[in-house]
Amino acid sequence: MADQGEYSGRLIAIDGTRGKDVIAAADALVASLKERQVECAISRFDASGLFGELAATGRGVHELSARTLALVYAADLAFRLQWEIRPALAAGGLVIAAPHIDSAIAIGSAHGLDEEWIRRLLRFAPKPHFRATAEEKKPGKGWKAAVDRGYGEYCAAMLPSMTDKASRRARKEALAILRRPRSPKVHRLADDDVAHLAKAITGSLRAARSRSASKPRSGRS
Amino acid sequence: MPRRASRELDQLIARRERSRGLLIAFEGPDGSGKTTQRKLLKRWLESQDHDVVSTRWASSSLVKPLLKVRKKIRTLSTEEYSLLHAVDFRHRLESAILPALWSGKTVLADRYLFTALARDAARGLDLDWLLNAYAPLLWPDLVLYFSMSPERSRRRVASTRSPHFYEAGQDVTGIDDPLASYSRFIERVVKEYNNLSVVFQFVTVDAGEAVYRQHTQVREFVERAAKRPWPTFSEDAVKEWLIKANIQDG
Repeated sequence: MADQGEYSGRLIAIDGTRGKDVIAAADALVASLKERQVECAISRFDASGLFGELAATGRGVHELSARTLALVYAADLAFRLQWEIRPALAAGGLVIAAPHIDSAIAIGSAHGLDEEWIRRLLRFAPKPHFRATAEEKKPGKGWKAAVDRGYGEYCAAMLPSMTDKASRRARKEALAILRRPRSPKVHRLADDDVAHLAKAITGSLRAARSRSASKPRSGRS
Repeated sequence: MPRRASRELDQLIARRERSRGLLIAFEGPDGSGKTTQRKLLKRWLESQDHDVVSTRWASSSLVKPLLKVRKKIRTLSTEEYSLLHAVDFRHRLESAILPALWSGKTVLADRYLFTALARDAARGLDLDWLLNAYAPLLWPDLVLYFSMSPERSRRRVASTRSPHFYEAGQDVTGIDDPLASYSRFIERVVKEYNNLSVVFQFVTVDAGEAVYRQHTQVREFVERAAKRPWPTFSEDAVKEWLIKANIQDG
């Protein structure tokens, strides 16, 4: 089920609790890669439009649960994989999933879902070659309720029990989950780290391309 | 999320067990007569003074429009297709099925999660992943399985309509002709259903029998049906809903 196929491209996951920070980190990485003459695409939250459409029909009418929203996140990610991420990887390109899996795990767990349940739900997604977390602005604050910024903000807007206090507490929990030490290394993106990550990605891409170029060719299949 | 003591919730569920309604699921391939039998049973139960609520597959007002558009333009991957049905199911479970059962109504589900298990497993998805997507599970007290051969299902469907793209499984068979694709796909679906019927102890009704005979059988099964106790089978699902809906006793 899990997509662990060998792609010649590279997948970079950037996760965080705040949509604005995740996108800022992805944009900074794209700019840094561009300086090194490397093109890169970004796959963003709600590329499928599912969250936006649900908010349009459901906000104030339907009471949604954290579990329902986690399933919508998984459906959105499935869309992004189908139409944005896998095609780019298959073509040997670079693609940034901003966000990828870790944001959903951290935010969903902070809203009371079992971490293992979310992990298993999202196991169809390929493992990224590089993982990073965005530099978080205003970490002491809760999420701003908004349906078009990121998953955390969306949950704050759509979950009925999201008071300011609950939002602050949940964001704190989500940050703690994201910052847990993990292996392989997760880059924490501040200004210097963006350039460092861009360098690592460029090196990895060059190595992958030279490997495939030096493969012995034969007429036999 | 308000946190409530697990013991308090256990007691709440145990006290409700006697008065809660019965959940009956109707399963089977397309054209097997589930909807007809569901309607007949509803009428009969209502004549016996039961409060009855029906719920249909992929029908929540929240998700149905999203699914309809995406099916029409055929952009759904296997996983997205499956997950959107899981969203629909979860939303109906929380907003319609559980509230109705809690207030003592009988719920007739025209297709339940086994439809997703059969169809999505036939599309090549892992059963284990599917069960996780639908967890925590609320087990029906009775699953009526309207058994029918793939060939008969194909004939019945063909006599009324041309199956649409996803119903015909064209997304996975790659066959251009909807009916030819349906023939191939429904074989896999029926095979999955037959496996599920053993594992999950469905009660089988021969969908080839006359409508009135099936209805008589269905009535007998329902009269004999015993509740699958929530504390044993569905505790997690009910607890999660009680917390979300902030349900108190009474």
